[in-house]
Amino acid sequence: MSADVSDLSLVRRVQRGDKGAFDALVLKYQHKLVKLVMRYVRNPAEAEDIAQEAFIKAYRALPQFRGDSAFYTWLYRIAINTAKNAVVSRDRSPIEYNVDREFPEESNDMQGRMRDPDTPEGLVLTDEIRSTVNAAIEALPEDLRTAIVLRELEGLSYEEIAAAMDCPVGTVRSRIFRAREAIDHRLREVFEGGLGRAEELG
Amino acid sequence: MKEELDSQLSAMFDGELPAAECELLARRLSRDDQLKARWGRYAVMGAAIRAEKGVRLNADLARRVSSAIAKEPNLLTGTAAQRPVRAAAAWVRPVAGLGVAAGVAALSILWMRSQSADQAALVADTAVAVAQPASRHIPETAAASTRVHQIRSQSGSSLANATLAANAGDAVSYVVPKPKSQRTMNIAGTTLASYVVAHSEFSSPVTRRNLLSTLMTGESGTGTTSAESDETSEDVKDDGQNPQ
Repeated sequence: MSADVSDLSLVRRVQRGDKGAFDALVLKYQHKLVKLVMRYVRNPAEAEDIAQEAFIKAYRALPQFRGDSAFYTWLYRIAINTAKNAVVSRDRSPIEYNVDREFPEESNDMQGRMRDPDTPEGLVLTDEIRSTVNAAIEALPEDLRTAIVLRELEGLSYEEIAAAMDCPVGTVRSRIFRAREAIDHRLREVFEGGLGRAEELG
Repeated sequence: MKEELDSQLSAMFDGELPAAECELLARRLSRDDQLKARWGRYAVMGAAIRAEKGVRLNADLARRVSSAIAKEPNLLTGTAAQRPVRAAAAWVRPVAGLGVAAGVAALSILWMRSQSADQAALVADTAVAVAQPASRHIPETAAASTRVHQIRSQSGSSLANATLAANAGDAVSYVVPKPKSQRTMNIAGTTLASYVVAHSEFSSPVTRRNLLSTLMTGESGTGTTSAESDETSEDVKDDGQNPQ
């Protein structure tokens, strides 16, 4: 069993006109796609714009997706092509930030804040999410921590984790779920509180 | 019940849920915002554990994409419109394949016929050249024609006729090869078909051997061409008379 099965069931729903299923695919792969695009562009905000364009292109092209390859493989190719095209078009138009020549310092500062993701609120939230997840993992029992790390960090399948931990596959599934529940419990607090703080900072 | 659903969601996120359960959960996931939010947090957990550098974990990318997709036309219309085309393509492909195969077979037969005809014509031309080595393809003139008449009346043999004409540097006759379209072969159609089948990679060894043996025994009786028998009639004499 692989991610193909679950992705394909979502893809089929999108092909039948269910746009909500595409949201699930975007939520699942947005971070992977941004990380991929950042091989071509340094700016995280620009990478997000390109990833957004890639997702929209993928949605439009989804009627042609037959499932011959994994959905992420197909999406990966679209993202790579979109990123390459974006880099080429950006290189052809070197004058990019000349909106307000009369007040260059102010303009740069404003646009920098608009495009730079490393604004204080963005940095704080991302760091807070990471530290919360790491703290939650550290607090997990050994068997749960091992299972979730092998899954998320090493990318092992349930069967491989079961072999590594010498336990049934069902136990692996249960351990990973319980680990996620524990992390999610703390993560929800950060998201709710963090978003409130972000609005205050803004 | 809720825990079982969340457990299924976790397994589906990892691609470890059976296909039938995936279908049902995918339907629910696309409609249930709370379930979708949990799904999104599972993705954030994975990104945080992998410590993906430069990736913002609080980005609103998914919301922006969702807003953009909401303005897009529904895919159902597009896929429904494409179904008849795909259905048509389903039967057009085999038919087109058969057509191509038939075309290739017909071309092969025609090519083989033309090859055989060319060989027969070559044999015929060679025979003519041997019989009348001195003949020339030179336009005749009235003077040459008169002289040839005189010589013919004196010698009376075609060999002398050709030799003298060659010495005079003028043409005695035209050798006009028949147009290719008029050349015919006496190879029987069944024999030709058998040849094609025998050389086909799809024929069984036994069939191939039988057909080849039939072909070889039949060649001696049917392999002659009309071109061979026409070799003496190829010359068109300038005066329409037989010198002998």
